[in-house]
Amino acid sequence: MSELIIDSIEKYGLHITTQRKNKPLFSKIGVVGAGKEGRNIINLTASAGMDVVFMEESNERIEYVMGQLSKNMDTRIENWGLTQSEKRAILNRITPTLHYDDFKGCDLVIECTRYSETGRRSIPLRKNIFKKLEEVLEPDAIIATNGFTVIISELAAELIHKERCVSLYFPVSHPDARILEIVTGMYTSEEVCKKMEIFAKLIGYIPHRVNENNGNVSLRLMVPMLNEACEILLERVSSMKSIEETFTIIYGQRYGIFRLSDIIGIERLVVLMETMFNDYGDKKYKPNPILWKLYRSHQLGVRTRKGFYIYDEMERPIAENILF
Amino acid sequence: MKILVLNCGSSSIKYKLFDMENHSVLAQGGIEKIGLKGSFLKLTLPNGQKVMLEGEILEHRIGIEYILGVLLSDKYGCIRSLEEIDAVGHRVVHGGEKFNKSVLITDEVIEMVKECIDLAPLHNPPNLKGINAIAEFMPKTPQVAVFDTAFHQTMPDYAYMYGLPYSLYEKYGIRRYGFHGTSHRYVSRRACEFLNVPYEEQRIITAHIGNGGSVTAIKNGKSIDTSMGMTPVEGLIMGTRSGDVDPGVITYIMDKEHLSSQGVSRLLNKFSGVLGISGVSSDMREIEAAIEQGNERAKLAMRMYNYRIKKYIGSYTAILGGLDILVFTGGVGENQTSTRSEVCKNMEYLGLELDEELNASVRAKEALISKSTSKVKVLVIPTNEELTIAHDTLEIVGWKIK
Repeated sequence: MSELIIDSIEKYGLHITTQRKNKPLFSKIGVVGAGKEGRNIINLTASAGMDVVFMEESNERIEYVMGQLSKNMDTRIENWGLTQSEKRAILNRITPTLHYDDFKGCDLVIECTRYSETGRRSIPLRKNIFKKLEEVLEPDAIIATNGFTVIISELAAELIHKERCVSLYFPVSHPDARILEIVTGMYTSEEVCKKMEIFAKLIGYIPHRVNENNGNVSLRLMVPMLNEACEILLERVSSMKSIEETFTIIYGQRYGIFRLSDIIGIERLVVLMETMFNDYGDKKYKPNPILWKLYRSHQLGVRTRKGFYIYDEMERPIAENILF
Repeated sequence: MKILVLNCGSSSIKYKLFDMENHSVLAQGGIEKIGLKGSFLKLTLPNGQKVMLEGEILEHRIGIEYILGVLLSDKYGCIRSLEEIDAVGHRVVHGGEKFNKSVLITDEVIEMVKECIDLAPLHNPPNLKGINAIAEFMPKTPQVAVFDTAFHQTMPDYAYMYGLPYSLYEKYGIRRYGFHGTSHRYVSRRACEFLNVPYEEQRIITAHIGNGGSVTAIKNGKSIDTSMGMTPVEGLIMGTRSGDVDPGVITYIMDKEHLSSQGVSRLLNKFSGVLGISGVSSDMREIEAAIEQGNERAKLAMRMYNYRIKKYIGSYTAILGGLDILVFTGGVGENQTSTRSEVCKNMEYLGLELDEELNASVRAKEALISKSTSKVKVLVIPTNEELTIAHDTLEIVGWKIK
């Protein structure tokens, strides 16, 4: 009698729930590629109670990723009181793999291949990942990519079930930026969007639906501001410090625009802006010479510890970079 | 006569079905992790057998549907039709200044509870979802709202106001409201019944201490001050809540750690208190275990936890002009003998003498734990918020049923 009886709840609904015979959504999800953004997604979803399988290219990479995830949680333990037992529980939900087969049974897999040093991601590679995922996943499983450029329709085009493809963008500017941009392409179905909205809520994000375009909403708003800020700097109208303070104090932003660019990564912004300039033909998107200068000299922001600012090993800015 | 009591939290629903003829509990259980992964309904059958029903529960409405479904089921249920439930009583967290007692739920009441959402954005919306779900599934069944704040509406203005610009009170209703009212009301009354003294003539302090906690000063049957404020963060150090903190510290932390208002609220509500200090757990049993292993931070957390309770008892004795009865309740107050002992130490000067032996022997039952010579009677009274809600519900809808 003391043994706990465990049963399934589905058969106890009155009328609404008995009509739906869905399996629980997002019990198991997958992530392809565990760079910084991939790890962020792994962390978020595993913390929200989902079982996460992630794929990397080698055992060395897997070891590195698991180490980074653990380190990240240690920081949370130090700062926020995540407990050791919660950390163990979260790590337990994360399974690394080298094979696509292990994604079987996932109802969502997010492609997160890393960016090259030049801020680009290989489209043929990503198309191949999508195809391979389609081979192992159930027809109603969602295949998503993580990004902010027009790509999802192109990645979906060669699949059998194109309607299952969606693009997601998890803003990286700061930990409280909990909005998930759900980008729908030509083929994305309403059902998939709705499921992704539930997914967003499960991980504590506010879902925003966005129609496929370069830069989504979040970066389209940011990019012209960055260009204007660079222009003001270039014309010697004001100092970097003053421009940053204008953003933080007058407009109440958490970070100034230059600091924000360093966080997002200069290479990503330059490539995005170049694409936007090509697509829209509007000069406001054309990357400012300062951005090109940083890009070409491989001073890409926080990641390289040098961008508009110089950073210490804890990724804290210690000085302004000398740009001229 | 059967009354269902519901307590809908942000991601949980607790329920108890009472037979009011003999106050017996016909069914009880709770749902956890609504809208999260790993949601389940856990119930205890009358023979003590625990059952866990797992499955996706995305929202409160579905949770309530499952609860009703389980109550109706052959396997785990105890009723044949929903019409057997005569009324439903809801715990509603924040009644603002609009409610000073329990009320029958009408459209007007629902509107007024909605107006209190700003004051309790995390708590009132799930309460309303529970009310709406019952209205949908059992449209003819009367429902009653029992407010956590109602008992404290007798606090005088000089106790409930903050030292902030008065216009903020006028604009947003910023003032102290207090919580756990149902519990403080129940245990203080029960203590007087237990001692057989008139409730309206006592100076009582009730310490409802558990994972959340508050201390209330009750004079002649009325709450005159309580340690929680406009939100449940004020007052005692709790499992994960900070309790009283210099507000200057909060803005300082926000600057240093780049925290938004949401971030700082999470810090104060979820990662502070006993958990934040000890780094071990928010559960006092785990803290006690860590202390036994010599964990210094756990020791510190325990000392701070006890100290803050004592401090409130001291200040409330002052405002009451003396003390007749001290009541411990809540998970920790009912079970943790060491905390009761620490809190009552060196209080002989005000006529409070704890009987250590008696104290050490009492867990989760009604008992007097002070010495016979003690002028202040110290009691343990297990709280029973659900039964109080059921009683209020019965009282309000009684005429309808008969």
